[in-house]
Amino acid sequence: MAYLSMGESHRRITDYLNRFVDAINYQDGDSLARLFSVSSDTPSLLSLADALNVFQDANRLIKQSEKFSQFGEVVAPFFRSLQSYRLGNLVDAYRAFEKASNAFIQEFRNWESGWALEALYVIAYEIRVLAERVDRELASNGKSPEKLKGAGSFLMKVFGVLAGKGPKRVGALYVTCQLFKIYFKLGTVHLCRSVIRSIETARIFDFEEFPTRDKVTYMYYTGRLEVLNENFPAADQKLSYALTHCSLNKEANIRMILKYLIPVKLSIGILPKKQLLENYNLVEYNNIVEALKRGDLRLLRSALQENEDQFLRSGVYLVLEKLELQVYQRLLKKIYIIQKLKDPSKAHQMKLEVIVKALKWLEIEMDVDEVECIVAILIYKNLMKGYFAHKSKVVVLSKQDPFPKLNGKPVAT
Amino acid sequence: MMMNQGVNAQAVAAADPNSLESRYAFDANQGQAQSYLPSASGSEAASWTVHKVEGYPSQDGVPANASYQHGQQPEPHTKNVQDGSYVAPLSSSSTVGTASAPQDYNSYTSYSNTTDPYSAYSGYYNGYQQQTNNQYSQQQPNPSYSQSVEAYQNTGAAYQPNSSFQNTGSYAGTASYSTTYYNPDNYQTAGGYPSSGYNNQPTASNTGSYANYTSYQYPNYTSDTSSAYGSGSAPTTFQQQYKQWPEYYSQTEVTCAPGTEHLSAAGNSNHGSSLPSVSGGYPTPTNQPQPLPPPPPPPSLNPTWRPETSSSVLPSMQPAGAASGAHDNYWNQTAPSFQTHLAAPTQPLYQNSLDSKTSYENFQELKTAPQGQNSQYTVYQVSQNYQPTSPTVLSFDARRVSKLQIPTNPRIASNAALGIAKIEKDGSAANSLPRPAYVSVAVQKPKDKMSSNNAADPMLKPTMYPKSLCGYVERAFGRYKDDDKKREACEAFMKEIITEAIAEGTLYTRDWDSMPLFTLPDSHSVNNENIQSPTPAAIPNYKKSPIRRSKSRWEPLPEVKMLDKPDSASNETGKFGSWDKRTFNGYSATKDNSLSSFRFSASHQKTPSKSAQRPMKRQRIVNGAGLTNNDDDASSDGDKDQSLTAYYSGAMALADNPEEKKRRESRSKRFERGQGHRPDINYFKPKNAGPANLYTKRASALMLSKSFDDSANQAVEDIDWDALTVKGTCQEIEKRFLRLTSAPDPSTVRPEDVLEKALLMVQNSQKNYLYKCDQLKSIRQDLTVQRIRNQLTVKVYETHARLAMEVGDLAEFNQCQSQLQILYSEGIEGCLMEFAAYNLLCVILHSNNKRDLLTSMSRLTQEAKEDVAVKHALAVRAAVTSGNYVAFFKLYKSAPNLNTCLMDLYVEKMRYQAAVCMSKSYRPTVPISYIAQILGFSNATAEGNGEKVLTGLDECLEWLKAHGASLITDNTGEMQLDAKASSSTLFMPEPEDAVAHGDSSLAVNDFLARTS
Repeated sequence: MAYLSMGESHRRITDYLNRFVDAINYQDGDSLARLFSVSSDTPSLLSLADALNVFQDANRLIKQSEKFSQFGEVVAPFFRSLQSYRLGNLVDAYRAFEKASNAFIQEFRNWESGWALEALYVIAYEIRVLAERVDRELASNGKSPEKLKGAGSFLMKVFGVLAGKGPKRVGALYVTCQLFKIYFKLGTVHLCRSVIRSIETARIFDFEEFPTRDKVTYMYYTGRLEVLNENFPAADQKLSYALTHCSLNKEANIRMILKYLIPVKLSIGILPKKQLLENYNLVEYNNIVEALKRGDLRLLRSALQENEDQFLRSGVYLVLEKLELQVYQRLLKKIYIIQKLKDPSKAHQMKLEVIVKALKWLEIEMDVDEVECIVAILIYKNLMKGYFAHKSKVVVLSKQDPFPKLNGKPVAT
Repeated sequence: MMMNQGVNAQAVAAADPNSLESRYAFDANQGQAQSYLPSASGSEAASWTVHKVEGYPSQDGVPANASYQHGQQPEPHTKNVQDGSYVAPLSSSSTVGTASAPQDYNSYTSYSNTTDPYSAYSGYYNGYQQQTNNQYSQQQPNPSYSQSVEAYQNTGAAYQPNSSFQNTGSYAGTASYSTTYYNPDNYQTAGGYPSSGYNNQPTASNTGSYANYTSYQYPNYTSDTSSAYGSGSAPTTFQQQYKQWPEYYSQTEVTCAPGTEHLSAAGNSNHGSSLPSVSGGYPTPTNQPQPLPPPPPPPSLNPTWRPETSSSVLPSMQPAGAASGAHDNYWNQTAPSFQTHLAAPTQPLYQNSLDSKTSYENFQELKTAPQGQNSQYTVYQVSQNYQPTSPTVLSFDARRVSKLQIPTNPRIASNAALGIAKIEKDGSAANSLPRPAYVSVAVQKPKDKMSSNNAADPMLKPTMYPKSLCGYVERAFGRYKDDDKKREACEAFMKEIITEAIAEGTLYTRDWDSMPLFTLPDSHSVNNENIQSPTPAAIPNYKKSPIRRSKSRWEPLPEVKMLDKPDSASNETGKFGSWDKRTFNGYSATKDNSLSSFRFSASHQKTPSKSAQRPMKRQRIVNGAGLTNNDDDASSDGDKDQSLTAYYSGAMALADNPEEKKRRESRSKRFERGQGHRPDINYFKPKNAGPANLYTKRASALMLSKSFDDSANQAVEDIDWDALTVKGTCQEIEKRFLRLTSAPDPSTVRPEDVLEKALLMVQNSQKNYLYKCDQLKSIRQDLTVQRIRNQLTVKVYETHARLAMEVGDLAEFNQCQSQLQILYSEGIEGCLMEFAAYNLLCVILHSNNKRDLLTSMSRLTQEAKEDVAVKHALAVRAAVTSGNYVAFFKLYKSAPNLNTCLMDLYVEKMRYQAAVCMSKSYRPTVPISYIAQILGFSNATAEGNGEKVLTGLDECLEWLKAHGASLITDNTGEMQLDAKASSSTLFMPEPEDAVAHGDSSLAVNDFLARTS
């Protein structure tokens, strides 16, 4: 760090204070937002942090003038936070930042309009990001990471400030999304429910009035929640909304959406084009799609095992595993087609031993009972029309559309 | 009432020996008697008249006094009018224990009526208070006699504030009043409430005027020279009044200006002016007070003047304003007095009276020497405070009451009924309350009006603080412009510093300019010492209260307050400070204070209806000091706090002096240490007498809980668990499980080697599960208590988990399972894989939470996935998710360890699913033998030893029948399931062993049947 004179430090701090006060006086939310972005590492804030480390008595500067001191509750802890952040002391930085944020919320509460929403967004974002980093640091030091939890409750408070009627409500969705990120990270997704309820049940504010950015994020996370619940139609609707509204420039975001949308679509019988998977680098789904197309149970199982960790972490493993039935269906359909080619008159009678043999070719060892059970399940779940004659061990297929397509409907339970 | 009178008489007698002092005391006694006596009008009147004679020969003064004290019929003056008005609104309040209370209300009401315009007053009022305070402080330092007199008055005022406070409590009738009165903020806001706000103010003013009045009397007596008195005391009171009134009136604004105020004060005409609303009035009132020899006149004079000069309403208004101003001043001043009072609680009445006498003497002496006066003054205040607690205190209270008139009267009545204890409480409470007010006022003074006052009043100027001190104060406050709480704390400090300086006589000699701005702890300690010295019995808490080092803690619950009070010493200064703020701040003009003050007032006063109930409550108080407080608590939260504080103060008073001393000392030590509630509490407990005990117990319990909270707040690492760990000495192998309700007794805890034997014993036992479970639980408890976490612990939990699984006790199994997860994660060896599999099965089969399942699966290491048990569990999971019943029952038969036991719990569900599935997909029939085979019926439950051997087939038949399957027999005689018919008739029967709590495994009968 280059030498920094006291005068220069003083100037920088005063400059910041002036900009801060000006931003508030002119209700310039964007400028104010920039002044809060601790972790953005912008040059101006970095230089301010250096200045603060040189000029230790910034509080005196704040108290010096009424102009500054009225926001002392916000600025003083923010300075401390910035200072600590610059010195790499993330725990202190977070603590001070939360204090500053609390003070800012108090101020924000008193402002009639939502001009400062941008600044609030930055604060909500910063507090989450800082908390995540602090938790990582704490965890690596063997301490219990709890800051993200604290950030969650803080954001819940912020949400309370915004969720009511009035012009500030438009900001509620952003905070909700930050909360989602925290809850998903912490694995406490059940906490999302209350927030979702207050967003979706409020009739005073149309969902479409929220900023698109927030809507997409919101739909993405709620869609993920539906995936967890294996409520595929709802998940499809939400994730599709997110996909269609997501900016095409945000490839990473589109990929994240597709990561969940593809399994959902697969579950309801809709296969993606290979090009799509390659465009968004979702090759882990390639083999699964292929297995579905070919009725290759082995491929499906190997694909699942190959990416088991990844699928488990993203939470789609169980969804993909359920595709097995569709693979069986595809396999039986193939057998049926072959039989039809051979002898159309007897095509609708499928011997169990044929199926067992087919599975054996796939190197899947299943005894007759198990295959019989699978067949029964396929019929039971309406993936196959017909019945199974136990005595003769024959599957009797309906002559009309023996393998109905899902067509966007989930497999019956 | 009679009792009070008698007390007063005694006090007077005691006072007599000293001529000047005796006068003072006598006057005081009389005043008290009157105030107390409201019920006995005759005696009161007499006392008052005497007093009047002494202080104010003029009739006007007398009637005014009477009206104030009684607030009743006797006086036709404006006061009466006021009283009447009050009565009207507060009729219910009148019912409050004493007749005097209603009277007061009446007078207040009138005020309120007139005062509507006064909404703006609050601001002024505050300002006024500050000014008066400043004046007061200034006066004290002044060496000149007149100054000393003023100082004395101030002290009187301070003293009165206490009484006024009490009065307000008695007022309970008008909640609004109380609030406004105490809360400066409320006043300001009062604009909204014209009438209520006004009423409050008037009452305040009345009390204030009374206080002034008393103060006047005192000075007069001490000085003996009416001229001195008039010059000294009169001006001060007038100024105060004037300031207040100006605010009320348009004129008041002028007066409000520091300069103008002083001028008006000089004239004393403030009252007069306000009354007539003409400036001309000013001179007359001022003149009157001065000429009038009797000290009491100030209040009385005001009323009298008013009636004379102007319409009754206007006069009443003015007096009220003046009174309020005076009251404020009193408060400010009273803060010190309060402290002293606390210190003195245990002293005998006689001593008190003597003290007062001495104080008077001192005061006179002080007049000659300002410094000496200060010290004396403090003493005097102390004595007064003390009196409230003891019988003499009663008299004093009465005096106060008389000064305050209405408020004190009700209280006094209650006090009388209660006896000493009550009085003590009230007194202490009142004292405590005024104190903070005082502090705050003092703070304010220096801030705003010090300079102005100095400039404005030539009279005051001499008495004022040195400029350097003003500068010092300004500096101190300048630092906390934006922080009310800090400012309050600062105020408290400043006040203490100044009092200290005055007491030491260094006010003028000190180099204020070079004095360090903040030495809170120092000042605090100094203050304490000062206070203590006058009154050895002073309660440390109170002393500490003025410190207010920390920012306010508004959050503290009532309990916290309680804790703080008794433990103030032990508690951190911060807490204590917060407490003070709460209770006392109300008096001060600051916003924060307003809230607290409101509460306080509410607690004591409540609504009129409540006030009516009061007498009852008071009586209860007699029985147990704490009880009344509790009653009050019920009325409102704020009440609770107040009552608690009052209770504590009472309890404190009860405590023996030496004890208190000790406690104080220990507390002060502890104070340095930070926390030490417990010992304090314990100490405190035994010493409290009868009625107090119950409350103290409760309080101590609260404190304990509080301390626990504190500890919880502390970082957990700070707790020395090692020191708390028990080392068992019990050698018994068998031990019944009992949930611990207290700290474990080492003699009943088994050490590790014995526990090992116990575990072996359980494992080899042939007894039923209930016995084993009990034994294992007791082993677990002993392990936990001794913080033994090793392989033995794991073994115990594993054993218990397996046993629980075998009998299907899922609840107990889950407990063990979660403990085992923690133990495994700590790296303790055990059957990790086995229990990982159990865990998986549990999640899959019982919780069916997708997310849990995902996390459990993602946690499995590659090594774990190779394990037989885990593999099996994963296969079960796959079978369940795909609904593959064939695979499930294959796995069921081949389950390693106790996986079967967990799967058992899912079998029924799986079978039913399978039956439904088959009935839908099979046509036309399915042989039962096949179903029995694939659904795990085959011989699985067949027991060869019984006379009734159930084959798998039979069992399957029964099961299918129980579930509504339709069965047919085909040509070969084999039983078949009619799939088509069954598909619509299958149902899940209600489990026969269903129990209310939904877990059949917990049914005792079932347990016994299965385990024995």
